[in-house]
Amino acid sequence: MKTNRETSVAATNATFGLHAFHRPNRQRAALAALVLLLGALQLQLFVSPALAESSTVGKRGGAQPWSVQVDRVDPGDVGLEPSFGAAIYENLLEELANTEHFKRLFRSGDRNAHDVPSLLILKTTVQKYTPGSETRRAVTTVNGATKLNVRIQLVTREGHVVLEKVVDGNVRFFGDNLRATHNLAHNAAVTLKRSALPEQADLVHEQETGKMSK
Amino acid sequence: MNRNSIPSRQTSVTSRQVGRGLACLTLLLSLCEGAICQIQSEAQSPVPGAANHVTHVLGFEGARHNATGDLKIQGDAVQFQRDGSPTAQVNISSIQDIFVEDEDKQVGGTAMTLGKTAAPYGGGRVVSLFAHKKYDFLTVEYLDNSGGFHGAIFQLNKGQGQAFKKDLVAHGAHISSPDDRATTQSTPEVKHENK
Repeated sequence: MKTNRETSVAATNATFGLHAFHRPNRQRAALAALVLLLGALQLQLFVSPALAESSTVGKRGGAQPWSVQVDRVDPGDVGLEPSFGAAIYENLLEELANTEHFKRLFRSGDRNAHDVPSLLILKTTVQKYTPGSETRRAVTTVNGATKLNVRIQLVTREGHVVLEKVVDGNVRFFGDNLRATHNLAHNAAVTLKRSALPEQADLVHEQETGKMSK
Repeated sequence: MNRNSIPSRQTSVTSRQVGRGLACLTLLLSLCEGAICQIQSEAQSPVPGAANHVTHVLGFEGARHNATGDLKIQGDAVQFQRDGSPTAQVNISSIQDIFVEDEDKQVGGTAMTLGKTAAPYGGGRVVSLFAHKKYDFLTVEYLDNSGGFHGAIFQLNKGQGQAFKKDLVAHGAHISSPDDRATTQSTPEVKHENK
């Protein structure tokens, strides 16, 4: 008498035997491959336009309609060295360009900025400055950090402050003192990118209502 | 018997470690000495009108950051030329201000920094004590063709900054406050606050 197990093994052999396996399964494999191919094609046809659409929407939605003119750095009365002022200014321009957050970027005094309709002016004022020493950092590790603390403001042509933030930039371990300006500019650019700026129409409306109330 | 053999092995291991550390330190010091000697040989007395071998830190239009090259006055323009790359130049009349500062920097670059970090027994710190040099930092503020403000920073050997500034002024460069901000010296660890 055959046990149940033996019966099932025999049945399996009959169904999935080498010859039995090859003939009908070739057709099945071809069919499966065709189905897979069609599925992939369908995915490519439907998903890629959707992705493209979402990426353009992201770009349109994320990008601000504003252009920015970076003003010269106000050193305040903290005894900031001129090279630091110039380095902050240049690094800010570079980092802001990298973010691609604003439509156009202008340097301070650029005549091309006069005709731009939606322009914000980025004002930078140094609040605190601690000059460091690269040698002291290298020798002691814990001493000699260069620290910068600035206030950044985005202002309209009319003087309306759209955004105001305080940003730090330090160099504590490795790198020369001017690296603090690079870190500061990077932090400022990230802060500006994360901040939501008002739509131009909203701002105009706000200003008009402000004038009316006066 | 065994007691005697273990300490002798330990001693040999320790002495090997110390020897390795010393060798590492000696190598770093010799590298450092080489770098300093090279820099000293480069730092010659500046000849007026001659090209200065400088490092462009940032801000000069058309030149790469931290690129080394020659900075010179050619006619009515300041030129920065890097080997094998086109000359970047700015009209002297467009210069708004010039500042010279001196600052202490570590020599040797990234390789030296890595070596110092890897050196055992704080040897890197000892090397850092000697591996530094003073440089002049020349800041040139100028306007481009459309009136946009630029601030370019160059790193020169000590003493060359003032001479180059004088040359520029002699060629017609504008400076706003010759006495007040002409030479500023960095004073480390003095905290300033603007309240």
